Amino acid sequence: MPPSKVTVHPSAEAVSPSAARAAELALVERCRRGDLGAFEELYRAHARRIFGLAVRMLGNAADAEDLLQEIFLSAHRKLDSFRGESALGTWLYRLATNQILDYVRSRAARTGQLTDGLDDAAVIPDATGHRLGDRAIDRIDLERALAQLPDGCRAAFVLHDVQGLEHGEVADVLGIAEGTSKSQVHKARLRLRALLGRSSGSSG
Amino acid sequence: MACSRYLDSIHELVDGTIGPIRRADLEAHLGSCEECRALAADLQKIRDAAPQLDDLPVPDGAWLQIAGRLRQQGRSREEAPVVQARSMPRRLLALAAGLIVVIGASLALLIPRLTREPAPASPPQVAAPAPAGNAPTTESVQAVQNEVAQAQQQMETAITHMEEIAKANQQALDPKTAATLEKNLGIIDQAIAETRSAVKADPGSVAANRTLFEALKQKVTLLQETIALMNEMRKGNNAGAAQIVEGMNRS
Repeated sequence: MPPSKVTVHPSAEAVSPSAARAAELALVERCRRGDLGAFEELYRAHARRIFGLAVRMLGNAADAEDLLQEIFLSAHRKLDSFRGESALGTWLYRLATNQILDYVRSRAARTGQLTDGLDDAAVIPDATGHRLGDRAIDRIDLERALAQLPDGCRAAFVLHDVQGLEHGEVADVLGIAEGTSKSQVHKARLRLRALLGRSSGSSG
Repeated sequence: MACSRYLDSIHELVDGTIGPIRRADLEAHLGSCEECRALAADLQKIRDAAPQLDDLPVPDGAWLQIAGRLRQQGRSREEAPVVQARSMPRRLLALAAGLIVVIGASLALLIPRLTREPAPASPPQVAAPAPAGNAPTTESVQAVQNEVAQAQQQMETAITHMEEIAKANQQALDPKTAATLEKNLGIIDQAIAETRSAVKADPGSVAANRTLFEALKQKVTLLQETIALMNEMRKGNNAGAAQIVEGMNRS
């Protein structure tokens, strides 16, 4: 029986996950062998996303840059533990998130800010008179407002609203209750509204 | 000031997680409360804007600092072989314990007629993982390496057979799908070539051997799926083919 020609057919993606995973494993192997060019390739592919996460979680670029270096040095040390069970980006992102959170916690322990951030319902600014109106939210304004949030609610907001984690996942990552994650995100949004409304009012 | 009673509902509305009853209640309220309506609209804007925040450009000097510290710590290419050579016997012990399992799992994925036969020169007891606490002898290390090489050879033979089958039936696929699969196989082949040279450079490296077997496994899986896809297409079973492709794009 001759092969039937299929005219309407499903198509495979340009690079299948299997092939992408094999390529990642090969890249990781080159890194393990001390190939600096391979590690630079890995860095170039993932640094922007991790740096963005770090800046938003920490609220400033200088600390984020220092931490970025520590994250990639730590990733280099831990490459032997990468088994290819998840995508390299996922593995790296998880490692980065944990390291950023460790940093946030140790900073909070020094300043007590995280605790303040978790219990500050009373100081949510009233946004009356600072509505956003019809104006679209400017990305730079949002970044600026985000940097002004307390550590606790900023971390929950970044993980939930920016990175798209579920509240249960945010709770796991931050080591808080799911209900606390929700209330932190809600507080963050209300604060952002007030901050953005204020800047919108002041700019005309 | 928005009505505090509806605050949680407004956030749930924005998140798309509000239930139908609360939603109806909230919508009725929003119809009559201008403050809450404005709040819901503003929070929706914030919710929509947040995921649009781009990745941020990394300062230029960051990579140079990382590379410099890796060199300082002796973790760049020049230093790596020394460290690997020193730790070889220990790594081979781990190889004995771990790789046989990996090989077994890999071979289980292959054509059923493939079976592992012990190398004629190897005593049977050395194929099993070395007991913890016992230092491996040179013979046992060599035997494990032979086992690894033999298992690898079997996988590669199976791959060759599957490649022949796939090649002989290539006309069952349309050119676009065939080209896509060929491209993916090419990527895996390159990965295999790179990891093989890593194994050649450091035969005792558990990580390198593991990576090579992973790459071989990826190739076996892709070839198996390709052959299954060809079969479905030959039968004119588009639904079956779609299911396989869906699996290929997901796995």
